[in-house]
Amino acid sequence: MSDAPKKKFWSRRDFLMQSGGGIAGMALASMLDRDAVFAQSPSTAQQLSIGQQCSAKFAGAFEPRPPHFAPRAKSVISLFMSGGPSQMDTFDYKPALTKYAGVPLEDLIGEKFAVRQGMPGPLMPSPFKFAQHGESRMWVSELFPHLAKHVDDIAFIKSLYGRSNDHIQSTYEMQTGQIRMGFPSVGCWVTYGLGSENSSLPAFIVMNDYRGGPLGGPNDWGSGFMPASYQGTLFRSSGDPIVDLETPEGLTADQQRARLDVLAKLNQMDMEKYPGNSELAARISSYELAYRMQGCAPEAIDIRAESAATKKLYGLDEAITEPFGTQCLMARRLVERGVRFVQLFMGGVGVQNTDTWDAHSNLVENHTLHAAESDKPIAGLIADLKNRGLLDDTLIVWHGEFGRMPISQRGVGRDHNPGTQTAWMAGAGIQGGQAIGASDEWGYKALEQPVSAHDMHATMLHLLGLDHKKLTYRYSGRDYRLSDIEGKPIPQIIA
Amino acid sequence: MQPKLVSNRVMLSAVLVVTGFLPVSASAQSGAEFFSHEIRPIMERTCWNCHSEQIQSSGLDLTSRDAALTGGARGPAIIPGNADDSRLFRQIAGLEGPSMPLGVPLTADEIEAVRTWINDGAEWDAAPATAVAGDGFSAFITDVPASARDYWAFQLPKDHPLPEVSNFDHPVDRFLEQKRQDRGLSAAPKADRLTLLRRAYLDLIGLPPTLEETEAFLVDTAPGAWERVIESLLASPHYGERWGRHWLDVARYADSDGYEQDVDRANAWRYRDYVVAAFNDDKPYDQFITEQLAGDELDNTTHETRIATGFLRAGPRVNFREKDNPERRWDYLDDVLETLGRGVLGLTIQCARCHDHKFDPILQKDYYSLTSAIFGYVEADWPMLPDAQALDYLATKADLDERVSVVREQIREIEQPYVDELKVERIRQEFPQDVLDAVLTPEEERTDGQKLLAAQVLTIGVPRDEVDAVMPEEDKTRREVLRSRIQDIESERPEEPPMIEIVTDGDYRYTPDRAGDNVLGCPECRIQPTEPGSFLHQGNGNYEVPPANFLIRGDPFSLGPELQPAYLTVATYGDPVTEIPRPNGRTSGRRLALAKWVTSQDNPLTARVWVNRVWHHHFGRGIVNTLDNFGVVGDRPTHPELLDWLAVEFMDQGWSTKELHRLIMTSEAYQMASAFESEQNSLADLENHLLWRYRPQRLEAEAVRDVIMATSGGIDLTVGGKPIFPYIPQEILDTAALFGRWDNQVDGPDVWRRSLYVYRRRTLSYPFFDTFDLPNQNITAASRNTSTVAPQALTLLNNPFVLDQARLFARQVAEIAPYDIDQQVALAYQTALTRSPTAAEAEIGRQLVEERSLRDLTHVIFNLSEFLYRR
Repeated sequence: MSDAPKKKFWSRRDFLMQSGGGIAGMALASMLDRDAVFAQSPSTAQQLSIGQQCSAKFAGAFEPRPPHFAPRAKSVISLFMSGGPSQMDTFDYKPALTKYAGVPLEDLIGEKFAVRQGMPGPLMPSPFKFAQHGESRMWVSELFPHLAKHVDDIAFIKSLYGRSNDHIQSTYEMQTGQIRMGFPSVGCWVTYGLGSENSSLPAFIVMNDYRGGPLGGPNDWGSGFMPASYQGTLFRSSGDPIVDLETPEGLTADQQRARLDVLAKLNQMDMEKYPGNSELAARISSYELAYRMQGCAPEAIDIRAESAATKKLYGLDEAITEPFGTQCLMARRLVERGVRFVQLFMGGVGVQNTDTWDAHSNLVENHTLHAAESDKPIAGLIADLKNRGLLDDTLIVWHGEFGRMPISQRGVGRDHNPGTQTAWMAGAGIQGGQAIGASDEWGYKALEQPVSAHDMHATMLHLLGLDHKKLTYRYSGRDYRLSDIEGKPIPQIIA
Repeated sequence: MQPKLVSNRVMLSAVLVVTGFLPVSASAQSGAEFFSHEIRPIMERTCWNCHSEQIQSSGLDLTSRDAALTGGARGPAIIPGNADDSRLFRQIAGLEGPSMPLGVPLTADEIEAVRTWINDGAEWDAAPATAVAGDGFSAFITDVPASARDYWAFQLPKDHPLPEVSNFDHPVDRFLEQKRQDRGLSAAPKADRLTLLRRAYLDLIGLPPTLEETEAFLVDTAPGAWERVIESLLASPHYGERWGRHWLDVARYADSDGYEQDVDRANAWRYRDYVVAAFNDDKPYDQFITEQLAGDELDNTTHETRIATGFLRAGPRVNFREKDNPERRWDYLDDVLETLGRGVLGLTIQCARCHDHKFDPILQKDYYSLTSAIFGYVEADWPMLPDAQALDYLATKADLDERVSVVREQIREIEQPYVDELKVERIRQEFPQDVLDAVLTPEEERTDGQKLLAAQVLTIGVPRDEVDAVMPEEDKTRREVLRSRIQDIESERPEEPPMIEIVTDGDYRYTPDRAGDNVLGCPECRIQPTEPGSFLHQGNGNYEVPPANFLIRGDPFSLGPELQPAYLTVATYGDPVTEIPRPNGRTSGRRLALAKWVTSQDNPLTARVWVNRVWHHHFGRGIVNTLDNFGVVGDRPTHPELLDWLAVEFMDQGWSTKELHRLIMTSEAYQMASAFESEQNSLADLENHLLWRYRPQRLEAEAVRDVIMATSGGIDLTVGGKPIFPYIPQEILDTAALFGRWDNQVDGPDVWRRSLYVYRRRTLSYPFFDTFDLPNQNITAASRNTSTVAPQALTLLNNPFVLDQARLFARQVAEIAPYDIDQQVALAYQTALTRSPTAAEAEIGRQLVEERSLRDLTHVIFNLSEFLYRR
């Protein structure tokens, strides 16, 4: 992210002129919160940063909606580790694997099981060293030296299980609660429930790994049966953040402004034929939002103004951490600006063993790479949010689509395992330094306090002040819930 | 289940107290006698329905002592002499979940009898075990309360007399006006002619009228001009494109499988074209449905009717390794039932998969009876050849494949020693020592763990050229001989005819591998059928449907009793047949029978649901607003008598959709103005549910793109054929899954075809459509959402396609009117909006063109609210 965001027709002067008197004094004027922008004397207004202008409140489709009860967090940053990180090699220390190295798992658990690829191998100890960290003495492997310093802020969930050993189905499950295609994602539910704190930016923003999107594609942040407006908006972390955001070559800012003004005039005249038609009024204001977004979206992820120290904190000074570090820093800027849900995918489609956490054929190489890419950026995110007093208002969630098998795949890799994975949450006033639930002796299945995707989602909603049983959407004659019929918040997290 | 557990516990403690005083003893009779008198009746009624030799839910057979001692997936069911530790007792006593039996719990006396019996040694008698239908367990509930049939949607539609109103004559208007009068509403006046013309065009063909068509309509002032417009539109091949698209929403149609591999469905478009043709031909709706459910089972089956069965398989499929994953088959059957239910019957049948429907009188047994009716279901590729030749072709192909595979196996045997050697070498270089050790250890000396490692690692491949390099000439020569034998066999292979993707009856356990099935190795790990059989029916005798079981709690591993086909109890009148034996014996005729029930005049739902969908597309809201749910949580009809009358009329007119359009569009209601205000009306019916004015409707995603291209003049109106792939920026393609097809085409006339033809990829919907509320393509759709959000504005403002079209539009206008700006403005308006600009608009337009350019104006027009609406 070295390119400056282009602002072809965006300038502070434009913004103020336009919002003060442009677009022919439409219904919009009354929707604007004048206190925020206009009541300033021109000289004060000039001093408003673009950031402040972009934080101004406007009424619209995503007007903030009150939660069901006092929320613990206002925003979520979801860190999805695509491909499925291995619990036994990261946070779920299993000394028994050393003892049982080379033994068939089947002999120990007394039942046959299937693996995703080919045949099962024998149990395989972690090639990574583990140590206890923090006052809470949480176990973390050598893969995460930076994150290890924050364990006292982190609640580990060591028993998150799923229902499918297929990447896509389990990604859908973790994102929507259902293994089938076509259900709204958690970010979509949150947007539906709470609206947005920022009317110049989308409420639910998704950023993909620089190598490509996660398995499952746009359905991972889709709106399923809900209106498409709730789906995640994909932000690119370089160039223009949103497709079609920027005016294309050959069209000047001035020219576009002229077109917009004529359009507003004509649409206004048209609307008079249909008084009381709220859709037409909404269409007119959608053009205003689009116009604001053209300035505010690039600004929101423009990290040039960040201090060198901040950039270093996220690892932007090193090639290996720069891509994900940039996204983590952008995530902070987005939640700062009131974006409700930021979804980052770490790991994207491409070459299996290098591009995602899917360590079938070389666990050491794969996990070393992905941990190195994400450890410092995530640790930096936690530290930065904490320093700025934002961590208490922000929920960070970390997980993959499933965990991995304690047995080996050809002596060097690990296959998929929906039986258990370690997820973690931080921020939102959650008691850190605790381990919730447990997997069995080998890390094969959730044993104590198994946590389903529904439970995880119910927990997230609860922290945002939403009662997961009350947040329903009627579709096809049924009141759907993100947490379906069986999810319940994790007591230790919401305590 | 929770309350049941509690009550069982309560009962149990009651039993304990009671038995403290009154010990039950079996000593008076032998163990076998006790079993015969006390236990057998319980088991007959409860256990044996699901735990028999034939049906072993959770792998458990309880029909003999040996089987019970062996137990099932959870271990032994009975420990003789120790009831308290016996799982059977613990589950019936509520000491351990899941509590058994399903349905009505055992009485305290019965539980105590079982305890006594087990404690006394759990003896059996010698009689055979036969289950009798028990009560309380939903597999055996065979009827719904009589009152359930009183609900409006389960009553057969009645031919209501036309209401007497003074001011309207058209039957549709008479029903509508009666409701309006009840609420003191007055109907809007008729819309002006040009508004009506545009409305009819957008509605029936999804394209605006051309200037010539507009001109022709304006000069046709003779009576019947409106009817003539309707007729010409119904006769247009673009009518089928427009209305076929509505049906494709119902059919959850896409061109790819979805999920991880998102495999291309290379021939799915033939089903799309079938649907378009069906609408253009005004195929009677009952026939249309019958072909889609059972096009392979008709008396006169054709390619077309076979293609129609694509409806059944149009949903998402994980595809690979489905044979090894029984739950996936049930998911596919569920997809079919959900589509049939919500799409055709207006009921959420899928809600009864794990339990009886929570709101509607739909039994879980109904669900599995319907599953049984479609259980022959397999997805097959079928050659487009005359029937006899098709079968010949398939047989020849299977024979050739088999012969080739035999020779391949011989080649493999020759290569094997060298391959093995090279594998060891590769393992030596690329894998850790313990893996190499496992491989080098003689097979019989390997530890259990080493056996696993060796088996795993020996599945690696070695490069072909390395094999050739180490293979002696002698073996190479032997191999060459075999290879040429393969060539000989291949030379007999007939050229592959065009293939179609169909559904027919077969045995899913023998489904051949197909695209995607082979990507992940280890075919030997797959579940292999235990007895010989074939995928499609071959040889003599009639095809038999594989056993279709009730699934307890919807769990594919908890098989309940086998069920025969039956239909929704509450919506079944008379005694419909459930199998129509086919003369060729290749299919069961169950789906044909199902289609007969669905399209029967005695089905209370089918005609109503379709008539309501058609109404919805004409008026923007159904008479029942929940198009896919006529059940109790769906909306009530605003005009129940009208809906009935239309349904009866529709069936009387031979299920003709075109007749229905004529009927609806000639009503005054269809021709009302939308720009009409009435304070009195708004106060009484703000939402316009009773239709006092025409409802403006935003164009659907596809129509927005089509209308832009039609307006610019760039559109290519070729009908039918393979899908197109309009340009998607690479960074968006990168967001989607690894697999999946998108043959990105440069934006230009080649891809300016109607949106209907844009490839539907499940893992990546075309971004332009997505922005304008494309419905989820993975499940059958109800009405589309209409959102009004900033990304729509961004697309219309900045998308290169839109700007190019605006440029093209400007060029077309300038060609006709090169010099006169006023004329250009007028022409642009007339082309884009089917009307002339007002004086004020003309002035604004002229200024813009003068100060900027015509292109600025045409771009603004594409962004006008009016342009995006049918009004």
